[in-house]
Amino acid sequence: MALLDVRDLSIRYEPKQRAAVDAVSHLSFSIDDGEFVGLIGESGSGKTTVGMAVLRLLERPGRISGGSITFDGTDIAHLSQDELRKYRWREISTVFQSSMNSLNPVTRVEAQFADVIQCHTALRGREVTERIRTLFDMVLIDPKFMTAFPHELSGGMRQRINLALALAIGPRFVVLDEPTTGLDVVVQHSILENVRRLQAELGFAVLFISHDLGTVLDLSDRTMVMYAGKIVEEQATRQLLREPLHPYTKGLLGSYGDPRAETVRITYVPGRPPDLAHRPGGCAFAARCPERIDGCTELEPAETEIGDGLVACHVAAIQRGAADNTTGAEVGPAIRTFAGPQFVKSAAESAEAVRGRPLVTVDNVSKTYVRRQGLRAVRTEAVTGASFVLRRGGVTALVGQSGSGKSTIARMITGVDAPTSGQITFHGSDGDQVVARMRGRRLRSYRGSVQMVFQDPYSALNPTKTLGATLARPLINFQHLHGTQLRDRVIDLLETVALSPGGRFVNRYPHELSGGQRQRVVIARALAVEPELIVADEPISSLDVSIRAEVLELFDKLVHERSVGILYITHDLLSARMLCDEVVVLNEGKVVEQGPSLDVIRSPQDDYTRLLLDAIPNPFAATRD
Amino acid sequence: MRYFVRKIGFFVLTLWAVVTLNFLIPRLQPGDPAELMVQNLAGKNAQLNRAQVEAMRDLLGAPSGSLLSQYWNYLVQLIHGNLGVSYTYFPYTVAEVIGKAFWWTVILVGTVQVLSFAIGILLGAFAAWRRNSRFDTSVTVISTFVGTLQPFWIALLLIYGLGYGLGWFPTAGGYQASTPGFNGAFVYDAMSHAFLPALTLMIVTPIGWILGMRNTMIMNLGEDYIRLARAKGLPDRMIALRYAARNALLPSVAGFALALGGILGGTILVETVFDYPGLGRLMGEAVGIKDYPLLQGLMLLTAVATLLANLIADLLYGILDPRARRAAA
Repeated sequence: MALLDVRDLSIRYEPKQRAAVDAVSHLSFSIDDGEFVGLIGESGSGKTTVGMAVLRLLERPGRISGGSITFDGTDIAHLSQDELRKYRWREISTVFQSSMNSLNPVTRVEAQFADVIQCHTALRGREVTERIRTLFDMVLIDPKFMTAFPHELSGGMRQRINLALALAIGPRFVVLDEPTTGLDVVVQHSILENVRRLQAELGFAVLFISHDLGTVLDLSDRTMVMYAGKIVEEQATRQLLREPLHPYTKGLLGSYGDPRAETVRITYVPGRPPDLAHRPGGCAFAARCPERIDGCTELEPAETEIGDGLVACHVAAIQRGAADNTTGAEVGPAIRTFAGPQFVKSAAESAEAVRGRPLVTVDNVSKTYVRRQGLRAVRTEAVTGASFVLRRGGVTALVGQSGSGKSTIARMITGVDAPTSGQITFHGSDGDQVVARMRGRRLRSYRGSVQMVFQDPYSALNPTKTLGATLARPLINFQHLHGTQLRDRVIDLLETVALSPGGRFVNRYPHELSGGQRQRVVIARALAVEPELIVADEPISSLDVSIRAEVLELFDKLVHERSVGILYITHDLLSARMLCDEVVVLNEGKVVEQGPSLDVIRSPQDDYTRLLLDAIPNPFAATRD
Repeated sequence: MRYFVRKIGFFVLTLWAVVTLNFLIPRLQPGDPAELMVQNLAGKNAQLNRAQVEAMRDLLGAPSGSLLSQYWNYLVQLIHGNLGVSYTYFPYTVAEVIGKAFWWTVILVGTVQVLSFAIGILLGAFAAWRRNSRFDTSVTVISTFVGTLQPFWIALLLIYGLGYGLGWFPTAGGYQASTPGFNGAFVYDAMSHAFLPALTLMIVTPIGWILGMRNTMIMNLGEDYIRLARAKGLPDRMIALRYAARNALLPSVAGFALALGGILGGTILVETVFDYPGLGRLMGEAVGIKDYPLLQGLMLLTAVATLLANLIADLLYGILDPRARRAAA
């Protein structure tokens, strides 16, 4: 018998003001003792809701509206909070999303272990301290941090401590909900290694919920893919990688490229998930599906067993002979890849770009921040002797962990900060200029030539302004446009970033758009002043994988059609390879390696680069050969 | 530790600034109080007698000498607790007048503030914990309604109902038929006089705490650490107190210390309505009859009290919120 058996689970959100939404409908899965199961889904797919339901932590207006959650033979879906208490933490524990906030900020870490240990076990006094010490050892953290407050720890340490906390009483089942989202790749890698090792040693079962395909596929024995509140595919991970059944899964897998290949191809899934309040008839994915047949929009596909896996797709079922082709529609042969739009980046293209004219020269630049502490001055060397060149019509990646000085360099290039020594020269259309020496009108016009695209498109747009107003602002400020001219230009910009017809988007508000669409508005705003350089700070890291390629594609188009230069700041070498011609690797304020992307990725010279590369989850390694 | 030293340093610096301003501001004002007083005594259109004005100056102890030596004198006097002579209560000194009123107010308003804070925090926390329950709704609605009423108006209603109507409590003054001192009769007398002002204040003051605590606590209940505490299967009481209320308390504690600082001057209307012999009434009077030395003394006292309260708030915050210690250090 399975440890956890979820049958026909439906979860409904019933907000007072708006229509009720079935966030999860008729979902079934089971997890065996000691099994590591992944649940992949994009934002809004209902994956976190499922996790919360299993933990019985759903809060109003959400509630379990049907089905059962059987844990070790008992249906816990309808137990009262008091009855649940004997399962909590002793049997089922959890690590939350990027737990910056899941430790009580005002009490010492130790106390937060002690309360739960004393609550559920007979350990007292020194035994408790001993237990906490053992747990800290398990996650490789020095027990001296037991008496620390949460804010005194780094994000990675906090997350390790959360992991230790989850294992405090030796649970049989742990729900990991996006445990490493928001952490650096290197930190993420070491934490997940830790999870993998502890899981093997202690044998607890795991439900690993994440939008990050790479990590889920890397760790899980079995993977479930969720779309619009349903599981559309479930297979053993190795099998899923070898032969994905559902077109959506293929789309997700397609968004992962091999950075070492001569030509990287990634696909993306156009469109956006359906509004669950008005679920379309038939298959929820049909509108975005390249393999769609007529029946897809009429009849909702049932879960069909294929081999050891399950899939909810008419086409896949027909292709594998698990269902009759009743409508007689044209069904192609089974394919592995997503037959949708794709984004291609070849090494030859990059070689071309590297010959481009320089746009910005960063020459031996250092930046030292001096912070006054009473009478003492504390000096922090944020950047030391960095030199590199940004080219017209080329994309350069600035890669490094947080604290490596990436953002400081960006600030100096945009003219917000001045370098302590060395100089940054901008080879603009009106001659060479040293960035730090610009003042007044010149600085103003420079700001027009350099634009930023921020990491989080959700907070980079003013929620109370329409897209039209947002885009009009820089046009009024820098180009003094007004009237119909202004309106035409705004629509033109929207079309440039593929929000067309532009007229339909002018009066929309940011909250009506998907993350990818919002990021395109942010890019459109950057383009408004026809910049020569765009500084993009992690522009795709907060986007769902299936739409990342769409933004990369847009950047790529800008480079080619308008020959702007792009400085792409990231901690992720994989995405750097997909977009960038050259890579500059930064570690502790120093440039440790630079060169054409492919060269750096194929034969890294520096240990740090290798560390970054190794940290990239690589689920395909096993299946590739 | 650094945090606490810094905060105390700041306190000393601001205290000095307050004391100095208190010295400077009256000297920057135009007009001569002695002339004003003589004019008042003599009648509006009478000719001023210079000798009278001089005499009045001497009587008031009007300053002479350079500004610096005046300042020095002022500081020395201040350290000795000498704030000058009150015009209205002549020949009593300002220190004596304030000293008399001080305890009346501190005991009345201090007790009220502490009780209201405790009640407010408890009610607010409980309302938030049982959000949208009947209890929560009634607490919120009643608080919002009562919060719109003016305290002096409530005071008038109470005087009318409990004082004149039912005759249960005396309606004015601090004591009546007993001799001040620590004896049973006086304590009883004083308490029965304090009852109506206290009740008035008790109706109004907890409201801010109730609503404030409820709102912060509701916000806190949405935090991840609360969800995690639930997942841990801890008893509800522990989650409510140690996780939610403990965090929600922080802003209120800072507000509370400031409210304590405001005790001294904040109840002018209520004390005036009840003719209560405290600092509030005194301040009202001092303003009304332009008793400058008294007013100045009261201002200084209020400012120092507010500063002290601020210091206490900072220190308390440092103890309660470990994050504050580091951020400021």
